[in-house]
Amino acid sequence: MEIPPLPPLLKSVRLETEGGWGDYVVALVKSMNKNGFKDGVKGALPIVLGYLPVGITFGILARKAGLTSFEVGLMSLLVYAGASQFLAIEMISKGIPNFSIILATFFINLRHILMSSNFSVYLQNVRIPTLGLLSAQMTDESYAVAISKLPWMKNRPHYLLGLQIISQLAWVGGSVVGALFSSLATGTGWGLPFALPALFICLLVLQIKNAHHFWVMVIAGISSVFFKWALTGNWYILLTALFASGMGMMLERVWRKNS
Amino acid sequence: MRESMLVLILGMGLVTFLPRFIPMAFLSRWIFPEKLKVGLNYFPVAILSAIVFPTFFTDGSQVEIQSQYLLAALPVFFFAWRVKSLWGSVLLGMAVYWLLGFIL
Repeated sequence: MEIPPLPPLLKSVRLETEGGWGDYVVALVKSMNKNGFKDGVKGALPIVLGYLPVGITFGILARKAGLTSFEVGLMSLLVYAGASQFLAIEMISKGIPNFSIILATFFINLRHILMSSNFSVYLQNVRIPTLGLLSAQMTDESYAVAISKLPWMKNRPHYLLGLQIISQLAWVGGSVVGALFSSLATGTGWGLPFALPALFICLLVLQIKNAHHFWVMVIAGISSVFFKWALTGNWYILLTALFASGMGMMLERVWRKNS
Repeated sequence: MRESMLVLILGMGLVTFLPRFIPMAFLSRWIFPEKLKVGLNYFPVAILSAIVFPTFFTDGSQVEIQSQYLLAALPVFFFAWRVKSLWGSVLLGMAVYWLLGFIL
């Protein structure tokens, strides 16, 4: 079904009649369905189930770290990167300067270059403003869901739009809800001091995909304790991250030669 | 809104947006430097380890075992490895940490 031309709203008073806004919206929604918007929304449901509780957790912990509810919402909207946001509030509460936080965020999210270049092959006919929205909302999860539809998804931005808009709504909505209701979870009772460490442990374990990752974790674990002992301030985090991933690169060469 | 927080959020927003946007918009195919790819592959593990492990083994700049944190961490490691649930890990960790508070 073709999208009808916009009805002349200012000339037409009878909106309900044929060719009015009602028909236009129906046609628009139908054309979106044809292009997969609705399929995208459906595909987002598992992501929503994952994002909502984590978003709520982020909202609660970010308020505890001193952010306002507005700042929480703005960060989820503009940054939209789970691990980096948790890392940021941990670093904020440690008094680490903005520059280090932004640098760490940059390195963590550089991996998106790979996913984005993978998508680009399939979205060559999509205009730049649309690509801006599509790329800003791309996450590991939306990428994973979308690549399972890749040949079909080719030049169908509506599918990705539906998938990603709903996913980000869940993330932003969850974190704002968590921030607004964070006063319900106050103090140090109920094991709250361990909420963030537990979250980081799980994020860490999810990153361990093979034995190489495991050994980098061991190297980073030992060196981080050493660096924290040896250095003042919080430089140990970035230093460990660069040192241990550098060691990983070196070991990778050794492992490749032996295999 | 505090200025430094605004700067932080905009800065983080920019550095997360560019790696997502530039390849999609300007490259149809890009050969990513293999060495950098390998390094980036290890970066999340490394930085998360740097956040996690000093919590168990240091107090300020002193090396000292934090038994309540360490004991609560062990079941969370196992749970996260088997179940892979963020939400579940947080709840389990909080519960174990809270219960350990009565014993230790």
